[in-house]
Amino acid sequence: MFSAEEIQVLLLSLRVACCCVLLSLLPAVLLGWLLARREFPLKLALDGLCHLPLVLPPVVTGYLLLLLFGRRGVFGPVLAAFDLQLAFDWKGAVLASVVVGFPLMLRSVRLGIESVDPRLERVARTLGAGPMRAFLTVTLRLAAPGLLVGSLLTFARSLGEFGATITFAANIAGQTRTIPAAIYTYLNQPGGESRVVGLIAVSVALSLLALVASEWAARRLRVR
Amino acid sequence: MLRLRARRQLGRIALDVDIECHHPVTAIYGPSGAGKTSLLNLVAGLVRPDAGEISLDDYILFSAARRIDLAPEHRRIGYVFQDDLLFPHLSIEANLCYGRDLLPAAARRFALDQIVDLLEIGPLLKRRPEHLSGGERQRVALGRALLASPRLLLMDEPLASLDQGLKNRIIPYLCHVRDALQIPILYVSHSVAEILELTSQVVVLNRGQVVAHGDFFTIATHPQVLPLVEEHGFENVLDVEIAATDAERGVCQVQCRGQQLKIPYCDQPVGSRLFIGIRADDIVLARQRPKGLSVRNALQGTISAIADVAGKQLIYVDVGCRLAVKTTPEAIEEMQLNIGDSIYCLVKTHSIRLGPHLGRLEKR
Repeated sequence: MFSAEEIQVLLLSLRVACCCVLLSLLPAVLLGWLLARREFPLKLALDGLCHLPLVLPPVVTGYLLLLLFGRRGVFGPVLAAFDLQLAFDWKGAVLASVVVGFPLMLRSVRLGIESVDPRLERVARTLGAGPMRAFLTVTLRLAAPGLLVGSLLTFARSLGEFGATITFAANIAGQTRTIPAAIYTYLNQPGGESRVVGLIAVSVALSLLALVASEWAARRLRVR
Repeated sequence: MLRLRARRQLGRIALDVDIECHHPVTAIYGPSGAGKTSLLNLVAGLVRPDAGEISLDDYILFSAARRIDLAPEHRRIGYVFQDDLLFPHLSIEANLCYGRDLLPAAARRFALDQIVDLLEIGPLLKRRPEHLSGGERQRVALGRALLASPRLLLMDEPLASLDQGLKNRIIPYLCHVRDALQIPILYVSHSVAEILELTSQVVVLNRGQVVAHGDFFTIATHPQVLPLVEEHGFENVLDVEIAATDAERGVCQVQCRGQQLKIPYCDQPVGSRLFIGIRADDIVLARQRPKGLSVRNALQGTISAIADVAGKQLIYVDVGCRLAVKTTPEAIEEMQLNIGDSIYCLVKTHSIRLGPHLGRLEKR
């Protein structure tokens, strides 16, 4: 049904999306907790900065990433010192997905944490639980549906990420060619329409699945 | 013994307390916004005092001078909040065991069965908090705090969210805890009736300050306390002992500090004690023991003070305990009432309230 090249595209996309979710979870929990539970100066600015990629044209995000993490970018020398190349590499595709998908993850995680009565954690403390245990066994456990919603949305967003990825990681067959980049490429080739049907079907199915699952998780969050 | 000397700024009011509690139950009474909950939070370690020292028996929980501030989880102080705050994702059994399981086995004072039996929550163990009634949830919350083997139990208006019928059913459990488990309790409430079910030791708090501390019957008519207690007209609360009951005529004869009173009939055995309430407006003063009046009760006493409290003239009469009587300035002038005068306080039998609020005072 799929050619070897298409299977490579699908596997790469899944790998990028999974890495993106795993990498954004922990920062989203930290930031989500900070934004949900703490007051500090410049909170609004931090909130805005985190959500910026949601409204910025993805191409601009990709270009900014290039300016920051490109070989001759601001952090280029630092990355080179660690022998790490992001631009024009599949890891760059992950970074682009993380930045673009992070607002979705953060929003859901933050809502999840905000839905938990902060006094429950205080109860846990008076019952003998340290701050970390109280957070993990009460707040994070109750915010789990929010984490799930965020993960699914980020996963779907990462699968569909095109603008930032193609600008920052480019469209190298076998290395950074994800589903949207492949569809774009095939459509630009004569007779390419017939090659994209399978990829389109897979991306529609995956996106739909992620949305349905996140809606189900969101409902669980609301019920409480 | 809890020793609490602490100061903490709370917005515009400053909570500033210096108290010692060495009774099985000490109640914190005061209007809303007085700082009652904040006081409990200081003891629990959830709010840090700006200055002062808090100690429980020999343990120093907080000391600004010595830079000690034990984290809440190291204080071993149980806390029952106004809302039960059960963990919604855990079964009742898991809720109960949350604190117990964090304790080393040697430090556990109670077995699960013991607490479950005491609070009669056995049938609930496998259920989830959302399927419990308000009263059941509050009992579970109490059990959860107890199973963490606290050295002190803080209760913040634990009955406030329950209706009157449920309150009356929870109070006996609180009495069980007080009598059977030997854990000192600090109990916050704004209901005098509720407090008196558990203790007569009261700390009265207003605007962050302790205005009085001690036996309620001694401090209730204190000029600073009275306006706080006065919600719908001040009620004198007396503890009396039943001397005789007469169901046919619908009265009980009771003893009150050596004087006789007739109160509405109540179905209690002779010798049992109870609280009665007499509103300050329902007492009439007379120079002589009246004749030809329908009023049954005349308590003899002497005027101990005449005060202007919150714009009302109050006469305090010592009849063995202190009664507050509301009068008008004209009456005081006309009757030429002076401190030290002998006087009779007249009370109609049926203006005496036994009320559903005031239950039996168990002999301890």
